[in-house]
Amino acid sequence: MKPARFAYDAPPTLAAALALLAEHRDDAKVVAGGQSLAPMLNMRLVQPARLIDINGLPELASVTRDGDRLVVGALMRHADLARDPIVAAQCPMLACAAGTIGHYAIRQRGTLGGSLAHADPAAQLPLVALALDAEIEVASAAGRRRIPARDFFVSILATALAPDELIVAVRFPVRGPREGWSFRLFSRRAGDFALAAVAASLALSADGALAALRLAAGGLGPVPLRVDQLSGLATGVPMSRERAAAAARAVGAAAEIEENERVPADYRRELLAALAQDALDEALERAR
Amino acid sequence: MSESVPIVLRVNGEEHRLLVEPRRLLSDVLREDCGLTGTHVGCEHGVCGACTVLFDGRPARSCLLYAVQAQGHEVTTIEAVAAEGRLSAVQQALHEAHGLQCGFCTPGIVITMEAWLAENPNPSEAEIREALSGNLCRCTGYHNIVAAIAKAAARRAGSAA
Amino acid sequence: MSGAADKGIGAPLPRKEDYRFLTGQGRYLDDVAVPGALHAHFVRSPHAHARIVGIDVAAARKAPGVVAVVTGRELAEWTTPLRMAPPIEGLQPVEMATLPTDKVRFVGDPVACIVARDRYLAEDAAELVEVAYEPLTPVPDVARALAPGAPLVDETLASNLVSHQAFTAGDPARRFAEAAAVVEASFHQHRQTHAPIETRGCCAVWDAGRAHLTLHIGSQVPHPLRTTLARRLRLAESQVTVISPDIGGGFGQKIALYREELTVAALARALKRPVRWREDRGENLLAASHAREDSARTRVAVDRDGRILALELEIVEDFGAYCFYPANYLARVVAMILTGPYRVSDYAFSVKVALTNKCGNGPMRAPMAITSWIMEGTIEAIARRLGLDPVEVRRTNMLRASELPYAMPTGEVLEDVTPRETLEHALAAFDLAGFRARQREDRARGIHRGLGICCVVESTTYGSAFYKAAGIAGSGHEAGWVKIEPSGAVNASVGLMASGQGYETAFAQVVGDVLSVDPGAVRIHLGNTDTAPYGMGSRGARGGTAGGSVLFLAAQALRDKVLAIAAALLGLNSSGELRLAEAKVQRRLGGEWTETGLSLADIAHVAYLDPLRLPQGMEPGLEAHKAYDPPPMTYSNATHLCEAVVDVRTGGVRLARYLVVEDCGTVLNQQIVTGQQHGAIAMGIGGVLLEEVVYDEDGQNRSGSFADYLLATAVEIPPIEVISRHTPNRRTPTGSKGMAEGGVMGAIGAVMSAVNDALAPFGVVAERQPLTPPYIRSLLRGKV
Repeated sequence: MKPARFAYDAPPTLAAALALLAEHRDDAKVVAGGQSLAPMLNMRLVQPARLIDINGLPELASVTRDGDRLVVGALMRHADLARDPIVAAQCPMLACAAGTIGHYAIRQRGTLGGSLAHADPAAQLPLVALALDAEIEVASAAGRRRIPARDFFVSILATALAPDELIVAVRFPVRGPREGWSFRLFSRRAGDFALAAVAASLALSADGALAALRLAAGGLGPVPLRVDQLSGLATGVPMSRERAAAAARAVGAAAEIEENERVPADYRRELLAALAQDALDEALERAR
Repeated sequence: MSESVPIVLRVNGEEHRLLVEPRRLLSDVLREDCGLTGTHVGCEHGVCGACTVLFDGRPARSCLLYAVQAQGHEVTTIEAVAAEGRLSAVQQALHEAHGLQCGFCTPGIVITMEAWLAENPNPSEAEIREALSGNLCRCTGYHNIVAAIAKAAARRAGSAA
Repeated sequence: MSGAADKGIGAPLPRKEDYRFLTGQGRYLDDVAVPGALHAHFVRSPHAHARIVGIDVAAARKAPGVVAVVTGRELAEWTTPLRMAPPIEGLQPVEMATLPTDKVRFVGDPVACIVARDRYLAEDAAELVEVAYEPLTPVPDVARALAPGAPLVDETLASNLVSHQAFTAGDPARRFAEAAAVVEASFHQHRQTHAPIETRGCCAVWDAGRAHLTLHIGSQVPHPLRTTLARRLRLAESQVTVISPDIGGGFGQKIALYREELTVAALARALKRPVRWREDRGENLLAASHAREDSARTRVAVDRDGRILALELEIVEDFGAYCFYPANYLARVVAMILTGPYRVSDYAFSVKVALTNKCGNGPMRAPMAITSWIMEGTIEAIARRLGLDPVEVRRTNMLRASELPYAMPTGEVLEDVTPRETLEHALAAFDLAGFRARQREDRARGIHRGLGICCVVESTTYGSAFYKAAGIAGSGHEAGWVKIEPSGAVNASVGLMASGQGYETAFAQVVGDVLSVDPGAVRIHLGNTDTAPYGMGSRGARGGTAGGSVLFLAAQALRDKVLAIAAALLGLNSSGELRLAEAKVQRRLGGEWTETGLSLADIAHVAYLDPLRLPQGMEPGLEAHKAYDPPPMTYSNATHLCEAVVDVRTGGVRLARYLVVEDCGTVLNQQIVTGQQHGAIAMGIGGVLLEEVVYDEDGQNRSGSFADYLLATAVEIPPIEVISRHTPNRRTPTGSKGMAEGGVMGAIGAVMSAVNDALAPFGVVAERQPLTPPYIRSLLRGKV
């Protein structure tokens, strides 16, 4: 289990990194935390000619506020997301989800940008980005653009990133007043990828009616899915546990779930309904 | 296309000037080039935790790092933990509580838990189990390891007070 | 015992081994530095079953750093095949080439070996080896293996049924006719693998000048390995040394001489250069050795009170593609000891073993792991059918102390066991009544708790007589020596090899106890076939009883010699009133022990360097060599209780409590015994809940990484309470019985029982492992 040969660059600046990406494009792989990439390299499942190591770009490891957005640098490690007081206060779902990734040592290395770029269908951070309508800010030698999370995840381990592009930051909406959230996952063991996961964010108006709902699920198919539309919940309706339970059942029944030889679709449908119910209950609780 | 490159690796405070292919795992270079065989290789895909070292003070799987990436960073291995032959709190507690059997996973556990206890000085049993879940042990059933970590935490707290 | 009570037999001493392991100074196979060693890497089959049409190694031979590329053709010249043909009725003889040349039989079957300057280059070259395969229909499971007209896994056999034995005692047919009820139950245990955290590996050094091979290899059985290795290389046993360094876990996987290891040894000899191989995790999961995968059915005739009148067992095991052991070896023991603590006289079994296109099976910690689950699951099926309390059905059928020794229907004799005592003690310690109340209240709130019970009788130390009776080739004896050196220092050795069991501590306690020296001053030498006596090695749960006993006997012989010398030096006619205490000779005078002024070192000095002062006719030196063949079988027993909580919405299982009451006889070191119990229980729990080797319909292995083969972490394994209720075995020298595998047996049964208790309100029974969330949900679908 040893990787095939590759060349290695550790560019000292973002500009240098982007220039290398522009030059080598598909021949190169960007490595940040390496917690998903290195196993694939070691097993020779991927054999890039070159690794471009972005760990030396501290400008990608910051958290800043831009209006109603929290701009989180791509190199933020999961462990830092989980314990950063600003993230915890302004985007608690992100902090919570980051704290559930892998194990203690894995979280010290793995990064936000790496997780999104890797795009594992059962991973936490792509699900959070999708659930919160985050925007992924990417850069290339030609310039920058923002990709809505809804458009970013294309297929299993595939994203809308062009070969010369690098994720530099992710823009998450800051938690609003009377906004509750929940992140729930079910896995075989502590730290494993989820068999299914649900992220919920809902806002209530002053009278307790639903003002906004975001609901997404991971582990069901090639990409995380938004399932708000399947819930039957409309803004303006008064929220209750009963209504949340009905919504969870509706989501479970209607979600599109891919067959998978190890985990049958009918099981994951039941799991989705159970997780959705727990997530909606918890989000509702937190919104009140 | 991918010649060996000269690197300077700082391990346990000592500099190693080496010529390595970029693809060589940090775990292999520590073991074969630096002669530090206390870092064990159990899976080479980041699951078992046996190869865990400190990378700038934070635990990291050395099988998921390439030695070239460690330039300019400080690597600490199990060999540096028992200063002058005196066991650390975690090591001593593992010994007393019979928290190891074959010993192969032990260095990774010592390294991980020393760093974790520094960050979490008053852990509950559930927290210890969660923190330990990234290190697989096939021999002990974890019971005595968990007890040892709790004991080490208490001792560290006592000696800090 | 005459030794210091706080350090002798039974004392919970922290281990002598620990310091080196804790500080990164253990020396495992890959840490053994051998200058100039080349690295081997194997090219493996991607097919489950395929004809090898051709292997083109030309490009690989030219790859950078490559020294040699060989296939089965070269190995057939250098080595002899493995013939597995013990004279056992119903067992088909089979033969295995070192590397296959005709066809591959499972995904991972090695077909070529690259030897290169380093492992990276060897793996590069492996990508250049072109093997032309003609795929054959795979045999993915037992049902298809035994179907008429099935493709043959081994084409020299008439069918894939490689072993079949049947047995009847008493008159089961008549008992069934008389029965008030006939109850059936079925049990399926899935395929698992040992997964030691240190994988396999070896380093072979051929000394051409001396024509001598040294194989460094983490082996549980260094001497038997040497015998096989020498034979298969056509070397004399005096030309081979096997050295086992520290072993990072074995669990039964490091017993056989595997094809890769033989290939590496042959290559070192052929190339006249050291060659080493370190298996990677993918290879370990795919191609080292698998275990379990048994399907069993029981039929039991009972009276109205649930008393067992007769029992029938059918068991079928999926043995994989190759026989590294006689195929009857594992499953037949299950059938022989199935009845365990219960009174059964009319009994019949059928044991079938089939070959399939999977990695070959071997013994894995508790080769008879399924036994207790089958028996306890059958008891619970009786209780369900008759509407009885399963604890009462156990009590009705369980042997009483007055019935021991008890000849089981297979003829095996159970003695010095305490199943009723451990059961009652466990139930009291757990507070069964309190649990049932909590269970009722929680059920009303949608929380589903279950209590599992599993009574285990563990076959621990196999004497030669049992091997003979069970149709297993080999001996059950063990050998050891103890030496007091001229300075008084003590060295000892035994033919076992440790992989975590703490022999260096526990055996030092045994020797130190007899010789009354501090165990810290007794050094136990293991693993080098030039140093250690020829023993049968570490397998089963024999270490403490076979190895501990032989050292106990050798140390006693040496103590007697020491005291005889002392008597001569003191001018006494006999040593009857002498003893050793704290490495000094004491004499009893008027009922009081008094110092004689002689120390062990004084005696040793005379024995080696002043032999004319020895009693007449006594040979100089202080060495004792002994061999010991244990009773046909020793048994330990235990009762395991487990509380599980089943989330009926997700199918998740959480273990809330685990308690075991055990009787394993005299223990050498209670801390080590408790640790072994923890580890065995954890392996059982992980096996029931998480671990699974998965093959698909095409025979592709879907569990080739640690992300897919799920070992339990500290979160899934609960705290484990161990309560000791040891009673000595009267037939072993120290009173020990042995232990270390029963925890697996008990956990498998207890977890299944607990989950079934939790599921009882829904009228469903789990009969298959692993207890995955989807499986549990499939049982509950439409019922919750």
